Amino acid sequence: MGAEQPPHADLTNERLVERCREGVDEAAFAELVRRYRGSVFRLAVSILGQEFAPEAEDVAQDVMVRMHRALGSFRGEAKFGSWIYRVAFNHALNVKARIRYRAPHVSDEALATTPSSDRSPEDQLQDARRKRAVHDCIAELPEVYQSALRLHYWLGASMSDIGAMLDAPENTVKSYLHRARQLLHAMLAERGFDAR
Amino acid sequence: MHDDNLMDQLLRDTMAAQPPQLSPGFDARVMRRVRPRRLTQTGRWLLAGYIVVAGATAAWLMREVPATAIVAALVMTVPIALGASAYGRRITVGD
Repeated sequence: MGAEQPPHADLTNERLVERCREGVDEAAFAELVRRYRGSVFRLAVSILGQEFAPEAEDVAQDVMVRMHRALGSFRGEAKFGSWIYRVAFNHALNVKARIRYRAPHVSDEALATTPSSDRSPEDQLQDARRKRAVHDCIAELPEVYQSALRLHYWLGASMSDIGAMLDAPENTVKSYLHRARQLLHAMLAERGFDAR
Repeated sequence: MHDDNLMDQLLRDTMAAQPPQLSPGFDARVMRRVRPRRLTQTGRWLLAGYIVVAGATAAWLMREVPATAIVAALVMTVPIALGASAYGRRITVGD
């Protein structure tokens, strides 16, 4: 009565990789795509930022195609997940380097239209400017901090998921987030904003 | 600690936007890109016909050219053709 399970849903990653390598098993590859498409996309969008979701989807697609081509040479020394996330991270960084000069500009006017029922227009504008400053400061943080912040606060990923995507233990992820908040606090203070 | 909590709340407020989703056709697009591209039956016949006609025409046109010149021409053009074909495949799949 429940939703129909996709073919090969019960197989491990290693078994799926083997089946892909043994011959033309399209269903095994489709299952790997189904398992990793969401997290690879989230990782890519966490690196590229909010305005570049279409580019992040292209990155996810390229990573899946690269995975397909590399399955034949994948020997299983590294965990499959770590390997694919590393490919995704590096590819997203390359794309980011290419597109960084065409970041869409969000004007103060647009930010000021953020709806809020019980605050004065001046407060709303100040709030919008502070949010803009937060986004600008985040963009100046080291890549791994930016990614961890967006994954945690925006995309709602758990610590263990972020750890898997960034290839770091959970405690390291927590320290990335803590350090990122400290840096942001100092950067915002420099620009005349506080966290209140 | 207090500042850290405030910053935590500010980040939650700032990043409250709806997370993006993958478009529905994502899987189909990936599968299309990894599927080996095969010529249709008609395409195969046309390609075979072209190879036969081009080969025969080239042989007839070069009937009086010395064999060494033909070999030299092949040595120069075959790697270029193979390289161009590999490059074409790479840019088609976006590597």
